[in-house]
Amino acid sequence: MSSLVQILINGLLLGSMYGIAAIGLSLIFGTMRIIFIAQGTMIVFFAYLTYWSFVKAGIDPYLSLLTVVPFAFVVGLGLFYLLFRKAAALEDRNVSLLLAVGLMYLVDNLILRVWSATPRGLDISYSGAMIVAWGIRVSWLRLALLGLAFGSAVVVFVFLKKTRVGTAVRAASEDMEATTILGINSVWVCAISFAIGIALAGVAGVGMATVYSFDYQFGFTFAIKALVALALGGMGNVFGALAGGLLLGVIENLAAYYIGIAWIEVASYGIFMLVLIFLPQGLFGRRGLVKKV
Amino acid sequence: MNRRKLIWAGFGALAVVFFGTLPFYYDVHRGQWGIFFFNVFVYVIVAQGWNLISGYTGQISLGQNAFFGVGAYTMALLWFNDVTKTGYYFDPVLMILSGVTPFILAVLVGVPLLSRLRGDYFAFGTLGMGMIVTVLFINGGMFTGGAEGRMLVPKMPPGVVFNLRTHYWVAFLVAVLATLVVYFMTSSRVGLALKAIREDEVSAASHGVNVLRYKVLAFAVGASMAGVAGSIYGYYLLQVTPSNVLTQNWLFYPILMVVLGGTGTILGPWLGAFLIYLMSWYGDQYVAGFSPILSGIVIILVMLFLPSGIIGLGQKVPGLGKRGRGSG
Amino acid sequence: MANQLLEVKELSVAYGDVRALWDVSLEVEEGSIVALVGANGAGKTTLLKTISGLLHPIHGHILFEGEDLVQLNTKHRVAKGIVMVPEGRRLFQALTVLENLRLGAYLPKARADYDDSLERVFTLFPVLKDRMNGKAGLMSGGEQQMLAIGRAVMARPRLVMIDEASLGLSPILTRTIFELIVALNVQGTTVLLVEQNIHMALKICSKAYVMKTGHIVLSGTGEELLADADVRKAYVGERGSRL
Repeated sequence: MSSLVQILINGLLLGSMYGIAAIGLSLIFGTMRIIFIAQGTMIVFFAYLTYWSFVKAGIDPYLSLLTVVPFAFVVGLGLFYLLFRKAAALEDRNVSLLLAVGLMYLVDNLILRVWSATPRGLDISYSGAMIVAWGIRVSWLRLALLGLAFGSAVVVFVFLKKTRVGTAVRAASEDMEATTILGINSVWVCAISFAIGIALAGVAGVGMATVYSFDYQFGFTFAIKALVALALGGMGNVFGALAGGLLLGVIENLAAYYIGIAWIEVASYGIFMLVLIFLPQGLFGRRGLVKKV
Repeated sequence: MNRRKLIWAGFGALAVVFFGTLPFYYDVHRGQWGIFFFNVFVYVIVAQGWNLISGYTGQISLGQNAFFGVGAYTMALLWFNDVTKTGYYFDPVLMILSGVTPFILAVLVGVPLLSRLRGDYFAFGTLGMGMIVTVLFINGGMFTGGAEGRMLVPKMPPGVVFNLRTHYWVAFLVAVLATLVVYFMTSSRVGLALKAIREDEVSAASHGVNVLRYKVLAFAVGASMAGVAGSIYGYYLLQVTPSNVLTQNWLFYPILMVVLGGTGTILGPWLGAFLIYLMSWYGDQYVAGFSPILSGIVIILVMLFLPSGIIGLGQKVPGLGKRGRGSG
Repeated sequence: MANQLLEVKELSVAYGDVRALWDVSLEVEEGSIVALVGANGAGKTTLLKTISGLLHPIHGHILFEGEDLVQLNTKHRVAKGIVMVPEGRRLFQALTVLENLRLGAYLPKARADYDDSLERVFTLFPVLKDRMNGKAGLMSGGEQQMLAIGRAVMARPRLVMIDEASLGLSPILTRTIFELIVALNVQGTTVLLVEQNIHMALKICSKAYVMKTGHIVLSGTGEELLADADVRKAYVGERGSRL
């Protein structure tokens, strides 16, 4: 029985990264109405940056959070104004989608060029530290990752509910034109949402670097997983997106244990298709955002 | 307007004659342009398929590589297991079947997805489908040969020599065929419906267009094209594995080619395929691994500045780019 | 003659190749209520959207206090005091009443007067104060209309453009809303009212314009148009009922 609990807990820990990525996706989708497929690639990119700063300068990854995340935010603003501003203003989703696809391909291969195809991972002095309680073993690092995930969700939630800009983001997610009518700069609102989404990718990237080994191809698969998490959790709800991620992590771990590692992917993508077809708004999401008009 | 069409048609006819007769005065089998154009033609077929569902109907599909792979595997498995007992090389029956299986898959997946989901969610549904197909083939064990796929060289009929000329011609013929299919579909009532769906789905529906049926049709026809292309490529490689027929290349490059050449145009895929393949052909010779980076840059530049593609320039083809509101 | 707060001169707007407004001209005097009436599809909403900056004209001018608005985007027009209450209200249903009002006062100048504006809104529409923390989507039609107008008031407008205030409201509620619009006007806010409920609109306005298929076909004072036989026949009907 305790092994089942162990599996569940490991699943939660795995899912925390999916969750962080999904929250970012949800924010970007909320205002720009596009699924930013390059999210996974950006996460891997920031993971590589964290790796670099550790290997070259000995900076502890959790310290890198302080540099990587603001940097990621700025990168997000830059990417938005460089690439997505016009398409967002015209609400041209096909163009935005293909821009994201192009960006993904570009960054994936840039990573390959700069860092080669060797998988990287961080070997930190305290990565082996474990908590052992009630017959369960949990590594501190993974637990910290879970903490990061919850922390991110809380920060984003507070931003959305309590700040003026966050309220504008919520309003824009519901009705972009009405927000413009009030004189609010809708392009700026999209830019902020996008930048926060990328900042979250930075958080997930740091987290990924501490726990996993990663290579340039990881981004694509990870983006799909984040999307599955978002589909599961549903749109329009920060904690829903997080929950979707955690749930996906648990499902994958259960699948790995009972069906076999090779079939994890089938399980995840299969669930994705099922959710898309039968429950497009996810478990916690608001209706009407995904279904056909 | 008609004069322009005449010019394009003339140009097209010339090109057909040129490429059709190329093997007579150029050693396609040994010369590098043979392989070059063979690949271009195969990409054109896949690209035209994508053009149909995404360029003309406006539903971005990210699943062409899955259909390509399904087609390739259909051909490979039928040949490998001697199902048709004909033992032909370039068996037309197998090629047709390679178009049928993706068609069926597209309908099975397309109906639930297209009936319920908005544009980009549909795109991700197709992506999910592609991932599942890939994983299933890798884990297919005895049935599909797993990660090593199927070697087809031993199945070659005795006495038949591998000559790239055959491949060149078959690929060219099917590419022209695919182009004609797209042309006739889109210049008929069907095409009108597809374009209406692309421009304004709700309006099209209120005019009596059965939106779902046309979307699925475009999706399935495009899928079968990719499948046939897959079988042609399989006959060329004589080996079908997940890592050569299900890769992102077959997903991404056809999109890039259509987008660059001109979405929603007949000749766009040809131009795009030629340019992109040329770029990757030479790019890789100078800097290894450079061409994917360049491809990423190209698709971004095209989306930013030229969303209608090269051929779409100057024409009133809206392609992928939207015009702004309440024009001035 | 008092200053014309808003002057629209020969405005033409098109959606792609389809013309929506043909050389439309009108004037709104400061402190007045001007009604813009006409059937569905006459172009009334298009005109308001263009004045707001959501649409761009092919040619023509929009002058606000003598200044041409053509270069200004929506945000600057709102800052100048031109605020629209859109058709169908377009409230943020998932947000609370207070949050909706807060968003109305988003721009710096309006934000500075936030407390005053809020009090003004609550005085005009007491029910909004009671429902302050309730979700906007859960309110009745009349309350939502009040919130929509209140949201515009939070922006410290000089000119409020209200598109179809009576949409979906019962006659009693419509009367209440119109009374509130008059009260707003009495406080000094100029109102440009787009309405299908012609009878009421003509009664409260000082000047009115009739639009048809993108043209202004008739103009005059409220009483003149109410008395006009053609208008009565075409739009008002026997007992002044809605179209």
